[in-house]
Amino acid sequence: MLNSKIELVLNNKLISIKNLDTNITVLNFLRNEKNLTGTKEGCASGDCGACTAVVGELKKNKIEYKSINTCITFLYTLNGKQLVTIEYLGNRSLHPVQKAMVESDGSQCGFCTPGIVMSMYCMYENKVKSTNDNIDKYLSGNLCRCTGYIPIKKSIRNMYNYKKNKSDQKNIISLLKNIKRNDIMIQNNESRFFVHYNLKGLIKDYQKNNNSYLLVGGTDLALEVTKKRNSLKNIFYLGSNKDLNFINIKKNKIHIGSATPISDIIPKLDKIYPTFSQMFERYGSEQIRNSASLGGNIGSASPIGDSLPVLIALNSQIVIQGKKQRTVSLDDYFVSYRKTKLKKNELIKEIIIPINKKNILKCYKISKRIDDDISSVFMAINANIKNNTFKSIKIVCGGMAEIPKIAKSTQEYLLNKKFNQENINEAKNIIAQEFTPIDDMRASKEYRMKISQNLLERFLNEQNRLNTVVY
Amino acid sequence: MDKIFTKNIEHESAIKHVTGKAIYTDDITEPKNLLHAVIGYSNCSKGIIKKINYDEVYKSEGVVDIITEKDIEGINDVGPIFKGDKIFTSKYIEYYGQPIFAVVAKTNNLAKKAALKVKIDIKKTKPIVSVEEALKKKSFVLKPKYLKRGNIKDGFKKSKNILKGKLYSGGQDHFYLEGQISMTIPQEDNNFLVYSSTQHPSETQQIIGKVLNQNFNSIHVMVRRIGGGFGGKETQSFLFAAITSIAAKKLSRPVKLRVDRDDDMIMTGKRHDFLFNYEVGFNNEGEIQALKLMMASRCGISADLSGAINDRAIYHIDNAYFIPNIEINSYRCKTNTVSNTAFRGFGGPQGMFCIENIIENISQKLNKDSSEIRKINFYKEKNRNTTHYGMKINDNVIEDIFNKLIKKSNFKKRKLKIKNFNKNNKILKKGIAITPVKFGISFTTTHLNQGGALVHIYTDGSIHLNHGGIEMGQGLMTKLALVASNEFGLNYESINVSSTDTEKVPNTSASAASATTDINGAAIVNAINKIKSGLDQFIYDYFKTNSKIRYENNFVYFDKRKISFKELINTAYLNRIPLSSSGFYKTDKINVDNKTLQGRPFLYFAYGAAVTEVIIDKLTGENKILQVDIIHDVGNSINKRIDIGQIEGGYIQGLGWLTTEEVSWKSDGILTTHSPSTYKIPTAGETPFKFNVEIYDRGFNKEKVINRSKAVGEPPFMLAISSFIAIKDAVYNANNNKDSNNLIAPATAENILKSLN
Repeated sequence: MLNSKIELVLNNKLISIKNLDTNITVLNFLRNEKNLTGTKEGCASGDCGACTAVVGELKKNKIEYKSINTCITFLYTLNGKQLVTIEYLGNRSLHPVQKAMVESDGSQCGFCTPGIVMSMYCMYENKVKSTNDNIDKYLSGNLCRCTGYIPIKKSIRNMYNYKKNKSDQKNIISLLKNIKRNDIMIQNNESRFFVHYNLKGLIKDYQKNNNSYLLVGGTDLALEVTKKRNSLKNIFYLGSNKDLNFINIKKNKIHIGSATPISDIIPKLDKIYPTFSQMFERYGSEQIRNSASLGGNIGSASPIGDSLPVLIALNSQIVIQGKKQRTVSLDDYFVSYRKTKLKKNELIKEIIIPINKKNILKCYKISKRIDDDISSVFMAINANIKNNTFKSIKIVCGGMAEIPKIAKSTQEYLLNKKFNQENINEAKNIIAQEFTPIDDMRASKEYRMKISQNLLERFLNEQNRLNTVVY
Repeated sequence: MDKIFTKNIEHESAIKHVTGKAIYTDDITEPKNLLHAVIGYSNCSKGIIKKINYDEVYKSEGVVDIITEKDIEGINDVGPIFKGDKIFTSKYIEYYGQPIFAVVAKTNNLAKKAALKVKIDIKKTKPIVSVEEALKKKSFVLKPKYLKRGNIKDGFKKSKNILKGKLYSGGQDHFYLEGQISMTIPQEDNNFLVYSSTQHPSETQQIIGKVLNQNFNSIHVMVRRIGGGFGGKETQSFLFAAITSIAAKKLSRPVKLRVDRDDDMIMTGKRHDFLFNYEVGFNNEGEIQALKLMMASRCGISADLSGAINDRAIYHIDNAYFIPNIEINSYRCKTNTVSNTAFRGFGGPQGMFCIENIIENISQKLNKDSSEIRKINFYKEKNRNTTHYGMKINDNVIEDIFNKLIKKSNFKKRKLKIKNFNKNNKILKKGIAITPVKFGISFTTTHLNQGGALVHIYTDGSIHLNHGGIEMGQGLMTKLALVASNEFGLNYESINVSSTDTEKVPNTSASAASATTDINGAAIVNAINKIKSGLDQFIYDYFKTNSKIRYENNFVYFDKRKISFKELINTAYLNRIPLSSSGFYKTDKINVDNKTLQGRPFLYFAYGAAVTEVIIDKLTGENKILQVDIIHDVGNSINKRIDIGQIEGGYIQGLGWLTTEEVSWKSDGILTTHSPSTYKIPTAGETPFKFNVEIYDRGFNKEKVINRSKAVGEPPFMLAISSFIAIKDAVYNANNNKDSNNLIAPATAENILKSLN
């Protein structure tokens, strides 16, 4: 029997919801249903952070906090979680992050401020050190047009100097513990919203329903609702499914559940593939990384999804679950623009990444803005170099074609060749023949072409230990 | 007498901001029966409407009505000075995003869903999109203007060197975090109360009056605060306020229009992009002898404020430099794009961008340190002190600021270090630049330089303050409450600032041109002086004294007595003394000839200078700002915390304009950058951690502006030109000191890479 309501802790009160539209976003719920207008709409596409709130989840008797963009988060994803909004912070007296913001003049027009305060709150409650890198990282999804961020950064540096008020975390933990985590189906007119906690139940219901959408972070899917104004009929939320949320590191393989948030993956990858994990720090914004998943990236198959070239370069496989399970190499998975080999009523269960510590992995992302921007060109290189010779090499580009694409001729040319200027020069000529990129608002085709060539040059320069990166 | 403001308090709404309790238009408790409007607009840039089919729109869930041109009782135009900004078109499509109709429905989402269902048959024709095309076809929104000083032929004859070149500066979207929004609530007798996120409530009132064909006195506009404006809500907000008012009148129900971010970016104007063709003559020291300049801007489909914006670009082509012989041809191009509008700096940044590039090119040509070339060309105190528009500069402090900053920022040493760095690095190259700012303060349209205020004292001694300015984050309310508390000698907390309101202070000017504190502050002082003169007379009569009266520390002092302000007010009330007054101020001394552009358009100048250091990657064009050092003149500050916020924020907004923010139009006139996913304003990561701001320690306004302070809204924006020039320097270094002529703004990674040889 599926539950027909969700329960969550809104700030410090347990609430249950069942009758609202299955497509409703957290932002619209807060503003229109609860009259909590402190959370603002800036863009309704997850790019500006004015709507930032924090989601708390029980992990080993403690609450772990994550910032989210409420404008692109569906309300029914919140079963069993705490939703913290700006109204909670100023409740009795100012929270340390608020005091710091006031005293460092972190607000001007004030419209982005609640979102920024919530990002800071998340940092504060998770006790993240306020290093320069962390400050930029935690602010990456919050746009401010007035202050230039300088006083906001200052207030983050100062926030730990302020004493915290008494917290009611114990109560909240006990409230959260009492919420049932059974599979859920919300029905509203003809539309349904499913939440499953294990794979078995999910597969059963997913096979039964047509017109279905798989949802994890919704960083892409939600725009169908908030921008194109479509109604999504059946939504299957995978973010709470324990069978899809895991990272297991085995001897020579990493297994990642398809719905595992990127921000959970980053620290685990750090020791194995540091360049991959560093790349993820420029993947979307903090809020996006907290929601988005590899499964989503692969499933939506966008040619500019940054994880895809890297996963392909690393010879990753994906486990596809339908009525049966099958394992597919990512090399052959992408067919044409946003078309893949995933069949109807199938879903991606996990991603398997081989561990090869002898190889060099490079992840080059070029975009207009360093943080929270979509690549104009992305290049991943996975190479085994012995005696300055390529024993194996794989080069995969994003943003250069309608799918993430392997530079086959280029890598074939370089195989068993010396890693030197002469061969890289030739490789640059070859790669120019392999791609016919397009012009758009992010970059011209000429620039894309030139960059794909120059990133090969960067690869060589890094090998020669030259300084190559500005940020 | 000049007062000193000692209290460095935070923004008046700071606590409300951080707790989410500050109320913006969309947060106002919604009235019963509220309906929501959404605009349906053209999806091509030029054509003729053959047929519109609204069947599916009407059938769509929750739809109450569709509003079109036919529903307009008055004029179908929201143009501020010149006509030409239609509310709805019914036949000719002139730009992408032109409103055709509005759907009114039960919710915003249902209205938008319905609007997307319209079927419009348009016969497309070929648009004019670029400045070059418009120039070629002589397509202008206003007549070209011409300014000359001296004898350009003689100037060039004297010049040992001549450089010619082309420059381009890009557009910029305002990206205020709070999008455009308006809500109109019908009152009795066809009166309307309008809440609008606007920088200009008075003109909102006037335009709604004209659109509804009603007297202005039937329209009441209120604004407590707006979530950023930057010029984008000086005139662009009128369209939305007009539409909610038309709908509210037609349906006799309150109507709200909150514009979706993409729709906002598509339907509203931006900063003008400019094209410059220059020819400059100079001697071997780098002193400019003659400048011949063609400047042309993309104004979009209508004049809007383009006349004054292009005039200001002309007025700032000199920045801080004396140009003895000059000839400027200024073209205001009409294109099939949304009408461009005011944006922080109002043409000034574009003019200054031009001359700073020219100076940098001169120094590269002569292979000299450009900071020296800048100094050589500075306006001087005794001669070389008159601008090309005939205004004598009598408050010049640029040389002092410049020298101080060179010293403070360790400019010369860092330049040497960079030289070494560049020698040792093949791929990465650094650059550094110092640029000055001299920005003229006043509306160049003289009659706008007036302000109004209304001050009440209630019988408990608390003050209610109202004035014509809009709080948009710039700290206006904080500064003006300080002015009032200072004048009354009262605690800052005794002053309650309230929503800007057309029923309290009429016929105000836009909060723009950086002058809002200046003109409204002076009007407040005027109102308070009127009340105080009544109170003073009362004290003379009632307490039988002729002593000097002081208002300080919540007390009033005369003879050797003191009584509390509260007691005085209560006694005055019982003796029937007026405790309320309006105030007025107009800026003196300014006048200008609109045709020749000669005269004194500005009351005074604000000065500043910035040093920026950057690093670029020769292989990708990627770049990063490493350090910024600023000294900026705010006169005698009313509140330093707020002024520093304006300086920092202004710089970073300017940095966005010149680096990551690229407004991109396809050749068919479709805007492709209409969301934050494609249009990239700076994030925290673009802001360098080494960001040093100092307020000029000798700041003093020679004009009798309130507290002898200076306007600070726009001037710091132009400090960011140093970032572009620093990138230019890095490109020059990367090009082995040949040139950097091909770099255009914004200096995106792509544009940087293109400029490398």
